[in-house]
Amino acid sequence: MLASLSSENVAPAPVMRFSAEQCCLSIAQFYLAYAGKTALHDLTLDLPRHHVTAFIGPSGCGKSTLLRAINRLHDLNESVTHSGHIQLEGQDIHAPDMNVTELRRRVGMVFQTPNPFPMSIYENVAFGLRLQQRLPKRKRDDIIEWALTSAALWDEVKDQLHRSAWQLSGGQQQRLVIARTLAIKPDVLLLDEPASALDPISTLKIEELIRNLKSQLTLVLVTHNMQQAARVSDYTAFLQQGELVEYGPTDQVFTNPRLQRTENYITGRIT
Amino acid sequence: MTPPRLPFSRQPLRHVQDRLATGLITAGGIGVLLAILAISVFLIWETLPLLAIGDTFSLAKLSPLAWGTLKAALAAMLFATPIALGAAMYSALFMSARLRSRLKPTLELMEAVPGVVIGFIAGLLLAPWVERHLASTLMMIIWLPLSAALAGYLWYRTAASVRQRLPLSWAGLWFVPWLAGMAVLAMWLAPIIEQHWLGGDLRRLLDQRYGLDYATRNALIVGIAMGFAVIPSIYSLAEDALADVPPTLMEGAQALGASRWQALWKVALPTAGPGVFSAVMIGAGRAVGETMIVLMASGNTALFSASPFEGLRSLSASIAIELPEASPGGMTYHLLILAALALFIFTFMVNTLAEIVRQHLRRRYQRLGSTL
Amino acid sequence: MHWQRAGFSNVGFSKIRLSKTGSSGLWPWLCAACVALSLLMLVSLLTLLAIRGLGHFWPASLEEVTLNSGDIVIGQPVRETALPNGAGTERLYFTGNQEVTGNNWQWIAIDEISQQSEPADLIRVARTPWGDFIGRLVAVESGELRLTQHAAWAFIHEALTLPVSQRPPGILLLATADGRTLRQPLASVTHFQSPNAMSWGQKTIAWGQRIWQFLSEGPRAANTGGGVWPAIFGTVLMVILMSVIVTPFGVLAAIYLNEIAHQNRLTRLVRISVRNLAGVPSIVYGVFGLGVFVYGIGGSIDSWFFSDKLPSPTFGTGGLLWASLTLALLTLPVVIVATEEGLARIPDAQREGAVALGATRLEMLTRVVLPMATPAMLTGVILAVARAAGEVAPLMLVGVAKLAPQMPVDGEFPYLHLERKFMHLGYHLFDTAFHGEDVQAAIPLVFATALLLVLIVLLLNLTAIFLRHYLRRQRGNEC
Repeated sequence: MLASLSSENVAPAPVMRFSAEQCCLSIAQFYLAYAGKTALHDLTLDLPRHHVTAFIGPSGCGKSTLLRAINRLHDLNESVTHSGHIQLEGQDIHAPDMNVTELRRRVGMVFQTPNPFPMSIYENVAFGLRLQQRLPKRKRDDIIEWALTSAALWDEVKDQLHRSAWQLSGGQQQRLVIARTLAIKPDVLLLDEPASALDPISTLKIEELIRNLKSQLTLVLVTHNMQQAARVSDYTAFLQQGELVEYGPTDQVFTNPRLQRTENYITGRIT
Repeated sequence: MTPPRLPFSRQPLRHVQDRLATGLITAGGIGVLLAILAISVFLIWETLPLLAIGDTFSLAKLSPLAWGTLKAALAAMLFATPIALGAAMYSALFMSARLRSRLKPTLELMEAVPGVVIGFIAGLLLAPWVERHLASTLMMIIWLPLSAALAGYLWYRTAASVRQRLPLSWAGLWFVPWLAGMAVLAMWLAPIIEQHWLGGDLRRLLDQRYGLDYATRNALIVGIAMGFAVIPSIYSLAEDALADVPPTLMEGAQALGASRWQALWKVALPTAGPGVFSAVMIGAGRAVGETMIVLMASGNTALFSASPFEGLRSLSASIAIELPEASPGGMTYHLLILAALALFIFTFMVNTLAEIVRQHLRRRYQRLGSTL
Repeated sequence: MHWQRAGFSNVGFSKIRLSKTGSSGLWPWLCAACVALSLLMLVSLLTLLAIRGLGHFWPASLEEVTLNSGDIVIGQPVRETALPNGAGTERLYFTGNQEVTGNNWQWIAIDEISQQSEPADLIRVARTPWGDFIGRLVAVESGELRLTQHAAWAFIHEALTLPVSQRPPGILLLATADGRTLRQPLASVTHFQSPNAMSWGQKTIAWGQRIWQFLSEGPRAANTGGGVWPAIFGTVLMVILMSVIVTPFGVLAAIYLNEIAHQNRLTRLVRISVRNLAGVPSIVYGVFGLGVFVYGIGGSIDSWFFSDKLPSPTFGTGGLLWASLTLALLTLPVVIVATEEGLARIPDAQREGAVALGATRLEMLTRVVLPMATPAMLTGVILAVARAAGEVAPLMLVGVAKLAPQMPVDGEFPYLHLERKFMHLGYHLFDTAFHGEDVQAAIPLVFATALLLVLIVLLLNLTAIFLRHYLRRQRGNEC
């Protein structure tokens, strides 16, 4: 199977480039390995600011790994090695003078299963704020209201801010997690299959939220749901076995893919 | 809606704190682990002078103690293992779920009863009682299991309405009054039997015909008392192992027509075997190291005797009695520390073995769970 | 293949005896009997402790017995035993008056009793040097005053409500069964009772008072009377000190093992060793405590700071500090294992969530992970305390005392005396039951002590069980 894949690589996929003003995240020749096993192989792609970029591909293709690499979550695992560059607004995130916690403040992340902390709704949203600095209560309340409003959750929870976050429904929990991230004003929001554990109505709400948020920040969405990628994203990158296969505007990737492999995947001939 | 402005400040202090805390935790953690290591280092270090002396005569002083330790542990295991494993099999596979959720913590509470209390009851109450009622005691040991079988037999014979009222799944509870009644019956019958068939006094008979001495505090008493103390640890671990057998395995066997008992015997026990084994090992480790019960219930006579009616003296009890009086650096001091080292190595090895077996079993269950 | 390994192949279809009822034979009944037997043993143990432990404080009736020989005995009937060779039964009486008769007890064959009664004027007096007196009150002398009958009783009851120093001077004239009289100073009397004349209500009140005295007073008359307050105090103080030591270290070690150390073969090995240390006999810890803490560290402290007092040791002998340290080491695995289990149960998503919001490791630990693991840690500490409270063997080596002359806490600087020996409930029990002067007389109090110890330990364990239950429920909500 590997042989058939590489045989098609005769004409390498042209790298989509954005100008420095448009580009928010720039990934160049990025390799990553778990305990010596390659997970990401020579990735190069630019992600445009204030747009939604979707990573699609079969499970285990490395799309979640790439997302976690952008947040440097792999720092927690000693067996991960990497090379190449990831630049956030022109700044290398692996540079020695890079402050990891500041990077993670700027790059928010939402996970597959909602993971609110076992505290009240209010405290969940205030969590990131409290890490950064002491704010007067009035100001903190303002930010929390704004974050919950942005995450389309304010109207549902405004009367019960001090209830436990674990009593919310799954969809509400996921929006709470988004609000919690928005509260610390990230530049980028990484979403790792944010709706895969939710029911269809909650999924729709999350998708609508993603579309609304792109005026404020850059979003990266990992999903295994092709329709969702088509509905929500502006650009789509197709990854397979740790390699970038095709990357382009969503319309083009879905309606007129350049490569046979992409078409096979999108039409469901291989999974 | 415009987002409120956030003046983020860099806080290098947070990172300094983080580093400091990580360092502190690492130092504390490694320090604790070193302290634990220090136990074995100390014990070995303090027994080294014995090697230099090479006095085998003094070492021989330890051998009756080692024998006593083994005898006490063996007696306890003989009493505890069948009861604990029987209880584990019943509660894992036959007991009603509601009863089990109440009864299991209750039986595990047995483990919390301090050894000094058990030893006191055994040494000051049980020992004189058994001495006066030896025939009743022995009779109870035989009669109680028989009476349980009798109850089972009667149950199959009774009307269905009674059987529904007293189901097997609740037998663990409603057997309690039955057994108590049977124990009283045994106590009532024993003197009569003793009078008619055993010449009136079992102890004299044992002494005259078999030459068995009877000491008030003896291995039998230690066995019962320490057995009581180790039943809960064996029961709890064995029950866990049996209850974790994937239910699909049992159902598979029963679908082939096996009775529940056959399924237990042929499927659950072989599968959970290592777990049951490690439970018994851990029980044995506890029995070997237990101090207060042996100290109070054994009479502390250092004898080489296999008789269950004679006293014994264990390593742990000797340490507790003699070490406070031994002058540091003296021969006795080093010998007693050698005894402690022996206990340490034995229990540590037994527990390690049990733990490895248990981890192996856990992996096996995970595989079984995934394949089925 | 796993099926074969699981012994499934053994269940050949032919081997199975097909039974229509699906009955399992008698074996399950035997197994059920094992559960019932364990339960029966536990229940009888607890009932025995409760009855004998609490029953002792009930004001028992006193009997006046006239023997065939004409002798009169006054005492409290304790139990009856059959005489050998069917010669009837004999009854044990607690007669008290040790200084007169040299013995607190008397066996009397039932056949020898010609007359038996319970006169209302029999009294029982608890005194400090000699244990109980049983007999009659003749009169009370206080200065020039000589009171008899009701006036005497009223005077005594009023005087006994006062502390010893404020009591009026007075002497009780007491008559024993054989007519001898004793002069008992009022100051040495702790208790004055006429059980035969008391109503049920009065007896209940007296019962409560005696239990309270047992809990709040020190031992008297070679542990045959009084209470166990110093032992309770010593046990509690030692356990508190121990938890202050063991909690931070146990939690630190658990955090290190679970959150910071690289998860590899070595960590696994360390984890198994820690778990196994929980199975190492407690006496081994006692040996370590004696060798390292008492002789090693304590001896060095003495030679550096207390050399003027040598050769009598200050820290170089068993004491509160060394006992707490030894028990802390003993219970360390309990705390580590429980905390680690709690930490392992927290989903990684929680940690990643905190880190993704820009938290440092310390912030992640203190704000998310540790609050979630608190019930588990508490469970561990409570289990550790329960184990330490019931542990006696190591204490015999590192600092427990039969009768501590001084409490480890007093008004003298530095108020908490870590080097002093202390009393412990479990050891007090052992010592009274096995090394007492009059074990017969002390046994009721030993039962009460045992009951107290078991109650404390069971209560602690129950708390831990409920905490763990709460923990599981909380985890269930999360899913």
